[in-house]
Amino acid sequence: MPPGFRLFDRVIVVVQFLLPILGLLLFWELAVRTGLAQASILPAPSTILARAVELLGLTGERAVLFGHIGASLKRALLAFALAVAVGVPLGFLLGLSREAQLWVSPILSLMLPLPAVAWTPILLVVFGPGDLTIVIVCFLGAVFPVLYSTMQGVRACGTQPVWVVRSMGGSRLDVLRRVLIPASLPALITGFKLGMAHSWRTLVAAEMLAALSSGLGYMIFSARSYMDVSTMFVGVVCLAAIGMAIEHLLFGTLERATIHRWYVRDAGTGGRQ
Amino acid sequence: MSNVENILAHPVRETVVPAPRPKITAEGAGVRFGSVTAVEDFTTTIREREFVSIIGPSGCGKSTMLYAIAGFLKTTSGVLKVDGEPIVKPGPNRGIVFQEFVLFPWRTVLRNITLGPEIAGLPRAEAEERARKWIRLTGLGGFEDAYPATLSGGMKQRVAIARALTCEPDILLLDEPFGALDVQTKNYVMKDLQDLWIAASKTILMVTHSVQEATLMADRVLILGARPSRIVADVKIDLPHPRDPADPRLGQYRQEVTAILSAEVDRSMKIERSR
Ligand SMILES: Nc1ncnc2c1ncn2[C@@H]1O[C@H](COP(=O)(O)OP(=O)(O)OP(=O)(O)O)[C@@H](O)[C@H]1O
Ligand SMILES: [Mg+2]
Repeated sequence: MPPGFRLFDRVIVVVQFLLPILGLLLFWELAVRTGLAQASILPAPSTILARAVELLGLTGERAVLFGHIGASLKRALLAFALAVAVGVPLGFLLGLSREAQLWVSPILSLMLPLPAVAWTPILLVVFGPGDLTIVIVCFLGAVFPVLYSTMQGVRACGTQPVWVVRSMGGSRLDVLRRVLIPASLPALITGFKLGMAHSWRTLVAAEMLAALSSGLGYMIFSARSYMDVSTMFVGVVCLAAIGMAIEHLLFGTLERATIHRWYVRDAGTGGRQ
Repeated sequence: MSNVENILAHPVRETVVPAPRPKITAEGAGVRFGSVTAVEDFTTTIREREFVSIIGPSGCGKSTMLYAIAGFLKTTSGVLKVDGEPIVKPGPNRGIVFQEFVLFPWRTVLRNITLGPEIAGLPRAEAEERARKWIRLTGLGGFEDAYPATLSGGMKQRVAIARALTCEPDILLLDEPFGALDVQTKNYVMKDLQDLWIAASKTILMVTHSVQEATLMADRVLILGARPSRIVADVKIDLPHPRDPADPRLGQYRQEVTAILSAEVDRSMKIERSR
C-alpha cells in the first residue's frame, strides 16, 4: 500500500471517530441554547470551553488547570508504575507455579472485584489525607488486573514452546526471555490497559476524599462549594480526554509495535499461529 | 578396470563396512503419569542415520516416548540412552518438530530459524549464515522477513523443520509432523523431508498415524500396542530411498503394517469397552 493511502485511511478513521462526538456536542449546545436543558445544571459546551480557557490562564486568571492535571497524572502514573513493578513479577511467579497459584487465586478472586476506593477511609485513618493515601488506593486499584492478566498470559503459553527452547540447550533465563515474556506480551498489554484505567478511575474518587489542594478530582469536588458547574465539567472532560489519550497513544503505540505486527493475519480470530 | 579386478583390488571392502553405531537404545523404558502407565516396556535400538517410524493406536504413548527421548519427560522405569549416555535433560543433539509447528509468532522466519545458534551464543552473522543453508534446502527463500502468522501451514512446518535442523542435531524427533497439513502440502513436505534426510545424514525418529507415511519414509516401522504399550512389531522396510509411492512392494509392506495395526486397534477398542 502506498503511504499516501495509508495516511488517507488514518484521516478517515480519525474523522469517523470525532464525528459522533462533534454531533453530541452540537446537540448539547442546541439543547442548552433553546432552553431544553437548564444552563445552571448543564452548561453549554461553549461555556465549558470558555471556562477551560480561563482555567488554563489564557485570560489572565491564575492558570490552575495544568497544576491539577499534572498532580493527577503524577499520582495515577506512579501508582500504575508500582502496580506493574509488583504485579508483573508476581504474575510470572504465580503463572509458573501451580502450587503458588492454588494458594493465591482464592485471595485474588476476592480482591479483583473489590473497588479499591473502599480502602480510602481506612488509609485516611492510617496515613491521613495526601499523596501517599491517594497513590496507595490507585495502586490497589491497578495491581490486581495487572497481576491477573500476567498470570493468565504466562499460563496460556503452554509447554511446547518452552520445550523448543530447552531442546536448543536454552537455560531458564532463555526460556523466560525468549518465550515467556514475548508470549505473554498480549496479555501483559491488556493488563497494563486495565491497570491504568483502574488507576485513573480510582484516582478521581480518591482525590475527592483525600486530596489536600490539587488534582482533577479535588478541582471538581471543591468547585461544588461555589456551585461552579462549568469548572466541574472542565474537570470531567479533562478526565475523559486524558484517559482516552493514555489508552490510545501509550498502549496503542505499544500494540502497533508488537502484537499487531506479529499476529497480523489472525488478528480477526485472535489466534496466535 | 573390470568388475572382477575391482573386487580383487579392494578385497576386504565389502566386509569392513561397519554397521552404524547405535544412536538411541531403550531397554524396558517406561513412563507413568501418576496411576496411568503411558508406556510400559519400550525396547529397541535405533542406529545412526536410521529413519525409524513409530505407529500405533491413538493414546498408546507414542508422543510420550518421543518426549522422553527428547528429555522433556523422565522415564519411570528401564533405561533410555543416547550415544550410550542416559538421557537426563533436553539437548541440542536432539531436535524436535511438533504437529502444531510451535513457531514463535514474535520472530520473523529468519529469527525463528536462528534461535538455536543464538542460544548457543553464536554471533548474529554466523547464526544467519547457518540458517541460510536450511532456508535454501527447505525452500523458504524469500520468506526470511515474514512473520509466521502470514505463512501457510506447509510453510510453517518447513520453518519448524529448518529451525530444528539449524541446531545441527544428530537426531531429529518428529511428532506427527504432517498431521496438521492438507494432503497436497503434506506430499511436498514429505518429499522434502526425505531429500533432507538423505542430504543431511541424520537419525530420524518420526511418530505418525499414517501407515502410508511410515512405510514410504522409514527404514523400520515400530508398531506400538494398545496401552500400557510395548512394541508389538518391528517391520523392516527393505527398499532403497527415495521411494516411489506407487511401488507394488511398498503396497505389500503397507498391507503388512496395516494388518498388525488394525489387530492392535481392535484389541485396544475391546479393552476400552470392557472397562
Ligand atoms: N502429562 C500427562 N499427564 C497424565 N497423563 C498423560 C500425560 N500425557 C499423556 N498422558 C496419557 O498417556 C497416554 C499416552 O499419551 P500420548 O500422548 O503419548 O499418546 P499418543 O500415542 O501420542 O496419542 P495420539 O496418537 O493421540 O497423539 C494417554 O492415555 C494420555 O492420556
Ligand atoms: Mg501424540
